[in-house]
Amino acid sequence: MTRSRASKSILDWFASRGWKPFSFQREVWEAYRNGESGLIHAATGTGKTYAAWLGPLMEWMEGDGESHPPLRVLWITPLRALVADTEQALRTPLRDLGIPWRMESRTGDTRSSIRAKQDKRLPTALVTTPESLALLLAKPEAREQFSNLHLVIVDEWHELMGSKRGVLTELELARLRRWNPGLRTWGLSATLGNLQTAAATLLGDRAAGARIVRGIVPKTVVIDSLLPEHMDHFPWAGHLGVNMLPQVLAAIEEGDTTLVFTNTRSQCEIWYQAILDARPDWAGAIAIHHGSLERKLRDWVEDGLRAGTLRCVVCTSSLDLGVDFSPVDRVIQIGSPKGVARLLQRAGRSGHRPGVTSRITCAPTHAFELVEVAASRDAYRAGAIESRYPVERPLDLLAQHAVTIALGGGFRAAELLAEVRTTYAYRDLDDIEWQWVLDFITRGGEALRAYPEFQRVDVVDGVYQVTNRQIARRHLLSIGTIVADASMDVRYLTGGRLGSVEESFISRLRPGDHFFFAGKSLQFVRVHNMIAQVKKAHGEPGAVPRWDGARMPLSSELAEAVRVRLEQARRGVFEGKEMRSVRPVLETQAEISAIPGHDELLIERVETSDGHHLFFYPFEGRLVHEGLAALFAWRMSRLRPITFSMAMNDYGVELLAPDPAPIEEALAAGLLSPANLVEDIPASLNAAEMARRQFREIARIAGLTFAGYPGQNKSVRQMQASSGLLFDVFVKYDSGNLLLEQAHREVLERNLERSRLGQTMERLSRSKICLINLKRPSPLSFPILVDRTRHRMSSEKLADRIRRMTA
Amino acid sequence: MIVEVAGTTLELLPERAAYWPERNTLFVADTHWGKAAAFRAHHIPVPGGTTSNDLARLSGLIKGTGCRRIVLLGDAIHAREGRGALDAVADWRAGHANVEFVLVRGNHDKRAGDPPPALRIECVNAPLLEAPFVLLHHPEESDKGYALAGHTHPAVKLRGKGLQRATLPCFWFTQRVCTLPAFGSFCGNALICPSPGDRVYAIAGDEVVEIPGIY
Repeated sequence: MTRSRASKSILDWFASRGWKPFSFQREVWEAYRNGESGLIHAATGTGKTYAAWLGPLMEWMEGDGESHPPLRVLWITPLRALVADTEQALRTPLRDLGIPWRMESRTGDTRSSIRAKQDKRLPTALVTTPESLALLLAKPEAREQFSNLHLVIVDEWHELMGSKRGVLTELELARLRRWNPGLRTWGLSATLGNLQTAAATLLGDRAAGARIVRGIVPKTVVIDSLLPEHMDHFPWAGHLGVNMLPQVLAAIEEGDTTLVFTNTRSQCEIWYQAILDARPDWAGAIAIHHGSLERKLRDWVEDGLRAGTLRCVVCTSSLDLGVDFSPVDRVIQIGSPKGVARLLQRAGRSGHRPGVTSRITCAPTHAFELVEVAASRDAYRAGAIESRYPVERPLDLLAQHAVTIALGGGFRAAELLAEVRTTYAYRDLDDIEWQWVLDFITRGGEALRAYPEFQRVDVVDGVYQVTNRQIARRHLLSIGTIVADASMDVRYLTGGRLGSVEESFISRLRPGDHFFFAGKSLQFVRVHNMIAQVKKAHGEPGAVPRWDGARMPLSSELAEAVRVRLEQARRGVFEGKEMRSVRPVLETQAEISAIPGHDELLIERVETSDGHHLFFYPFEGRLVHEGLAALFAWRMSRLRPITFSMAMNDYGVELLAPDPAPIEEALAAGLLSPANLVEDIPASLNAAEMARRQFREIARIAGLTFAGYPGQNKSVRQMQASSGLLFDVFVKYDSGNLLLEQAHREVLERNLERSRLGQTMERLSRSKICLINLKRPSPLSFPILVDRTRHRMSSEKLADRIRRMTA
Repeated sequence: MIVEVAGTTLELLPERAAYWPERNTLFVADTHWGKAAAFRAHHIPVPGGTTSNDLARLSGLIKGTGCRRIVLLGDAIHAREGRGALDAVADWRAGHANVEFVLVRGNHDKRAGDPPPALRIECVNAPLLEAPFVLLHHPEESDKGYALAGHTHPAVKLRGKGLQRATLPCFWFTQRVCTLPAFGSFCGNALICPSPGDRVYAIAGDEVVEIPGIY
């Protein structure tokens, strides 16, 4: 078939569905067939899928039209939950155009009969996740199976690129490109502030000249909010409250199908319960959806959404991505969206019908979220778009990848190094780091500190390979754990699976305790074979599981917009209904303390029964504040022995001490000085044990800790140690270990390069200091004051501190 | 820190051991020798040095207290796979040949096996009666005397003004049982829930500090 005939078939197919291709779709089809790679960015539900998918179909029609060809197209998606829908969307044109391709998916959910079939021969097109792809690459026959690959499409690249899962994808792409030099790669992404970096991470050393295609311009988005009736009784802090329930119920009534977005899974469970308690008549018509729930339950909810049979679904970011739910006509955001991109993404879930604008209605959980809603509207109108920053050179992941490749037929060191350096993440990997990774997987550490008993990977005639089956099994089980903290299945005693919860939550439950999960009140019975067994509970409700990692920082774009709104408020300007609603709270702030101006640093000092508090308000977002808290505490603790507990939110930092801290003395001695940051920052992060916390994830990826598997015996349990204990042992006995260095580097990058702690200090050092003594905590301080998740730092001698604590 | 217990005295030492002057005996629990080596044998790269460092600490205790005898309250060796580390123990033992050494077997010892005879560590099953004490591994009350035990790796969580927190290994004395902290430095620990009347002594750096009324 000629090129023009193939194009015509596609156009006819579009016409048969009453569509006309967008020009950006034609652009991608053309570019693909000319051998180009690139990145397509646009809002969801705007035709990115077919822009990427139809090119290879045309190419096949133009070509020999071989029937049932071997694997040609690989589709990588970040979420297992998106696989089924993607598969369905891709299948439609295959069916309509009569293209005889086998089209399948491969995830942890794939049935073993299908796996076995795929292990013999992969389908022509395969939808999978980065982790499942890693498992495929760990097979000795991988190279042969992937040898005919034409195209890799990476969906939702903006979600992957900022994480170690993104780095895993980069490594996988590098491998596939080496096997197939003509391989093309297309990424699908939401619009980002740093699209060039997004393309560079996706394409590695082939990024030069990458085509970046802009999809259709998003529709206008309306951002509005539900307002509390009286500000007097509206809380100043907290995010789990349901004060806005009546307004939210009324909003749900207005729509036919409403999505209620929450920021955390706990919040999701709480709101689902609250809505159901208030409107028992909606039972069956409202549902809950989040990432920890059993797949069958989520499928049921998604089907209900598509069919329009559900009135309301309470969900988390699990419904941010992918799938198009046309019947949704109302979107409610509980609490702050924390970022403009995220807000727009969620707004985009409504109004998919032509001519309908997207709308998102925010329901604040505390007063200052009203300011954030106003600020996010400002940022949206000003076109502020957030960036995603890639992870640089994570050695834990490289070690994991090297073991994977050693399993998949083995590798020669120089070849794998050359391949790895084609990725963006490892473009600057130096020889010392590479040698360290090789030593780590063969000897467990640097040559001079070899651990003779250890041998994960053997070297035979210059080929690195895994021969031990126990290691192979363990490694394959641990590949999927880059994101997942140790979690435990929750099942009824009768066997029905409800989903999974972090092990740390389960470990705090005693048999008989009640808790909410999957929208149900459950009674914990016992843990058996790594499964939390439960039964339906009657009577008193209980705790809601808290999942880790749920705290999203305010984006710096949004933080800046909040500063502008507060500066206006300071001058008495309250524009828009959110600002008018929150006015009494801001006036209280001005009355008992002050509203910080744009060029001011407000510091509040107050004593409560907890001790002596200092609050600083740089308004730089949680991540920068983490670094600032450690730095301020460290610099003050140099002046005299003192112990701090630190808390922070997106607006400010709190240092709490049992005794008054020497703030005036510290300010005079250069507390805010940008000098010596190179020494002070690492020292302070160290003192705050931040690297120790960061080590948790690194230990898991590098295979130091292992969650275990069902039915494991005692000897496996005896080989488990906490990441904190391992960190301490490494610090004491192998302080040069590069995994430790990586932990420090990750903390530094998170707080420094990325969010410019240094620039913040420059700005603060030029700010006018406004130190105010308060009789009671101000509204601004309140959300930080009540936060019990704290970092700690002390310059007191431990025994002295313990005596004072217990005196 | 000197404490009165069962009509005699024990000196609690920050090196995680208790010295009994009356019999010139040092009590330690849960050395878990070779734990890191066992991890390495399971392909988990934990640095070496923990066992020899712990042995050096034990040497310091022998020198500091002048004890003639050590009683180890169970879990001498962590696992069979870690027995390679016993060479270091043997070297250490040769340097302290005149000190008597008794192991009261614990749960790990059943799987990992006794130390080799060359180490001259007398291995006995719990309980070992040594009035007024009953020496054993699992902290259990005994009608034969006051129990000294290990096994649980006790630690105490403290809270103080300014939302301070600290978790420290500790000695935990109930009416009938004392649980010693784990001696091994590559050992986790478990928080205790003391009852009124119990005494708790935490190890705070190089000192032992009594913790009043924390239940």
